[in-house]
Amino acid sequence: MNYTLLIYENAAGFALRDHPDESKRRAYWSAWPAYVQALRAAGALVDGAGLEPPHTAVTLRPRDGAPQQVQDGPFADTKEQLGGYFIIDVPDLDAALEWAARVPAAPGSVIEVRPNLKPAAAEAAAAGAQP
Amino acid sequence: MKFAILSYETPDNFAARSDQRRDALFGAVFRYIDEMRRAGVFVGGAGLDLPQTATTIRLEEGVRRVQDGPYPDTKEQLGGLFVIDVADEAAAIAWARRCPREPGRVIEVRPLLPPRT
Repeated sequence: MNYTLLIYENAAGFALRDHPDESKRRAYWSAWPAYVQALRAAGALVDGAGLEPPHTAVTLRPRDGAPQQVQDGPFADTKEQLGGYFIIDVPDLDAALEWAARVPAAPGSVIEVRPNLKPAAAEAAAAGAQP
Repeated sequence: MKFAILSYETPDNFAARSDQRRDALFGAVFRYIDEMRRAGVFVGGAGLDLPQTATTIRLEEGVRRVQDGPYPDTKEQLGGLFVIDVADEAAAIAWARRCPREPGRVIEVRPLLPPRT
């Protein structure tokens, strides 16, 4: 079963990416490939990506009957912002939570674990099968 | 250049998944994915189950606190994401504009980090 691990990092977490202290910067960047390798070795890795920091985001908000309004900046006005995600294939929620607890994000980060919808083809077939 | 298209949805958008709007909703999403595939820009993505199916782990120094429910505690919640590979940000925004519109749905476009390994 596929789950998505959504990794929400705070400003201090994002700052580690180009921290002036090389050892901190290195610790941040070396932890992720090790985690990816562990997922891969367990046969659990489906997909994943890191996102550039929140200030690089552009947000499109709906407007009734008009083109969407495009604004710089991320959508959520929260302290923690999405920094990346992994899609994993594991037997159950407990296994997903175990992987989530091992995400090497900095203290202060929040990991949300959410089941994925079934792949589009299966979903379409299921929808088509309904009366 | 790769970008994530993040879809933030309202409780009513999520409700549409299981009422009479379901077929139209998913049909529009499948057509969108198909358009991206045919244009050769589709890389991947995931639809997420409802926010109430989420479990959240807060990482503190030496502690892992587990709670039911999504993060953050906002009206709109992430409903799914697409990853596309396009020439530049303008092209990414153009694809984001074509994402099926639902009342209240907000789309965020963010570049992916380049691969480092």
